[in-house]
Order: sequence, then structure tokens, then C-alpha cells
Amino acid sequence: MISGIDTTVYDARTLPANDNVNAYSFSIDLNGEWFTSKGAMIAYYGNIDFSAVSAYASRASWVAARFASPLYAQEWVVASGRGKLVIGDRGNDINSYDLGDGNLTIKQTNLLAFETGLELKQSIVPGFVTLIGTGKFLASSNGPVIFVEPPFRADPEALLGWADCPSPSHHYDYNWMAHSLMSGVQMLFGRESGEERQYDFTGKGTVLLQSSEVQRHDPALLRIVEAQTQMLDAHSAGQLGHKLVARSQQA
Amino acid sequence: MAVLTADKRVLHADLQGDSVRAASGSMVAYTGKVEFKSAGMGGGGGFRAALKQRVAGESISLMTCSGAGRVYLAQDAMDVTVVQLQNDRLTVESDHILAVTDGLQLDVQFAGLRGMTSGQGLATTTVTGTGQVAIMSEGPLIALAVTPGEPLVVDPDVYVAGTGQTQMSLVSGVSWRSVIGEDGGEPFSLRFEGNGTVYIQPAER
Repeated sequence: MISGIDTTVYDARTLPANDNVNAYSFSIDLNGEWFTSKGAMIAYYGNIDFSAVSAYASRASWVAARFASPLYAQEWVVASGRGKLVIGDRGNDINSYDLGDGNLTIKQTNLLAFETGLELKQSIVPGFVTLIGTGKFLASSNGPVIFVEPPFRADPEALLGWADCPSPSHHYDYNWMAHSLMSGVQMLFGRESGEERQYDFTGKGTVLLQSSEVQRHDPALLRIVEAQTQMLDAHSAGQLGHKLVARSQQA
Repeated sequence: MAVLTADKRVLHADLQGDSVRAASGSMVAYTGKVEFKSAGMGGGGGFRAALKQRVAGESISLMTCSGAGRVYLAQDAMDVTVVQLQNDRLTVESDHILAVTDGLQLDVQFAGLRGMTSGQGLATTTVTGTGQVAIMSEGPLIALAVTPGEPLVVDPDVYVAGTGQTQMSLVSGVSWRSVIGEDGGEPFSLRFEGNGTVYIQPAER
């Protein structure tokens, strides 16, 4: 006899339908297709197939229309079939959001799954994606999500996303700016404490924050930044390369 | 008889002149007169178990805490659950065993060579007998039932423990692994059939 584990035992029928199992996991009642981030699946019952977005798109042409940017296709899979699919993300809190003909921009590494009624677009802010349309999506956060209304300034690390308001602009602390201008722009690097740079939100809408953020590996962000280095001439690219090598050796 | 009590993320082991085996390095504090010494790999099972562990690449390093007093055990701020076994068997991913009382035997269950490439969940530790075992999980445990005709598939990286009569097999039913340049995700999944309960944690190792 075994006793002492007093958690509810779920099966395929008793697992919640499109609701949280606990704060850190979510159960999708799959009947059709969902897009899920690679590695987000932690368990499932039923007949569920996982296919690469590119492979699935060759069979179902509507898939291509949901991915406006090829950048992200590699990070996503199509879960199709019938069953209960449990989603988890390294013990982070998971919340579901409903979009009704709206749009929301979110940090790409925090987006775990979304319904096929939503369209994924690359945001102008690196590392963020915009969801447009109608449907449900799941996102993780380090600690509970905090909702705030603009005008508001957020720390880039703590920013999870924003809805309905215009994209943010950069804001630098006034005193820090004054010092930087006096001492020359070269000083810009190496003086950052991480708090001088902020995102400035204006207009009407909602800003989503998380209480802390651990920097994550984001292959799509790497591709974006790499593509932008094309704007540099050969000499500048070399300089940047040296700086990056120095940084990776420090870490 | 030593008593294990879970207090959220810390385990209290109350000793009355006896001993418990605990994960090496998991002691955070103690009161009373307690001695700690390494119990070696596996803490029992003999040479055969040690060999199996070597083959499976799975090691579990335990220490013996003996004496009288209270030992506080914890690791990586993981949630602690104390399980009572009454002449039964529990399968646990070895990294998730925090402590076991005397009267329980540990042995490595070897799931076969094909699992060697995956590295997780292929050789789990079986705990048999009568006593208490404290298991750890990152976040609260989620219990999922396995019933005949309703198999369960889990990510090997979230599997913590299992009870009952279940057959575990490795499946590579995730087709994106074969797509060139699109690696990542779960190359293998664990499929459970039979009758029992599987415990998972909401965080990938």
C-alpha cells in the first residue's frame, strides 16, 4: 500500500478542459489543432500527433497564413488530434488569455501555445511576437503576471508584453543621459547598471509585467540580431565580433 | 523508528538512535547528536546493482545519518513529499530521492539499451518494502492515472515517480526530429500502459 501523496489523480476525463491543472501547468482539451512551442508538452492522453510547422503546412495551406514570419516556424510544432494535452514550462506560472479580434505582443520565449484562429507576427521590438485575431493562447511568467495601464515605464527584463497600446519607445534616465553626454558617448558601454534603459509606454491599453526574468536562449532573437548586422560595414562588423568574443569569454 | 515529515521544501528526519539514508549533501541543519557518513553508490544492492548503475549511467549518491536528533534535509528548493510504503513498490527517478528510512530497499531498474541516447528515465530506482521515502519535485506533483486502454505519454524530463503495474516504453512518436535543421523538443517520450499512477512535475529537468 502506498500513501502520503495527497494530490488529485487525474485521468483523460477528469483533467481540466482548457484550464490550469495547477499554477504551473495547463491542460488543453485538444480536438483539432493547436500550435505549441517545442518542448512545452509535458504529458498527454489520446491520439495526438506533433509535426513540424513546415511539414504540416505542406498538407494544410492555412498554416502558412498563421505564421507571417518564417523566423519562428522552427520553434513551433502543430499538435493535432484528440485528447488532453498538458503544457508546462520549467516550473513557471502559466496563464491563458483570450483574444477577441484583438492584438497582443508578448515575449517570444514566454509564449507556449496558441489556437489556430490567431496569427503570429514578428514584432518590431526584437524578441517579441504579436498575436492577432480571435482565440486562446498560453503564456508563462516568472511569478504572477502584473497588469498596469500606461503611461508607464517598464524595465525591459521584467516586460512580458502589452496589448492594444502603441509599441514602446526607449527611455533613458535623465541624470544618466546628462552624464553620458558630458563624458562622451564611448562611455556608454560599461556604465550600464541595467536600470537606465527603460521602455516607455503611452496611449491606451494594458502592459503585462512579470516579477523577475531569467535570460533565456532564444534562437529566433539570435537570427533577428544576426540579420540586422547586415547593415554594418565590414570594419564595424569586425569590431562587433571582437566585442562579442570578449563578452563570451567573460561569461 | 525514524520519522520523516515534509515541511514544504524541507524534510524533517527525526532520529531515535537509528538511521536514515539521505541524498549526499542535502543536510542543511541538524540538532542533537547525529553522525553522517557516505553510504556509497545506491546504498545497497551489492555489486550487481553497482554494475547496472554503471551501465545505465545512473548514480545515486547517499549518506547515512545516524544518531538521535532532528536532521533538516533540502535540495535546490524543491518541493518535498513523504510517501509511506506498506510492503509495496514505488518507482522514482533517482535524482528525486531525498531520503529513505531503513526497511526499504533501493534497486536500479534498467529499461534497456535503446534508452541510452535519451539519458533520462531509462534507469529509475525502485523502492520496495515497508517504510518512508521522501521524494522531491520542482513544483507540486501532478498525478496522472494509467488505466487499461488509456495509455499516457509523458516527457522523460518531467517524470518523477510511478506506482502500480505499468509498462514503460520509449516512443519516438515525435516526427519533427527527422526534419533536417529542426531539432530540439522531445526526441523521445515515455509511454505508460497498464494500471497505475504516474507522477510528474511541471518543470523540465
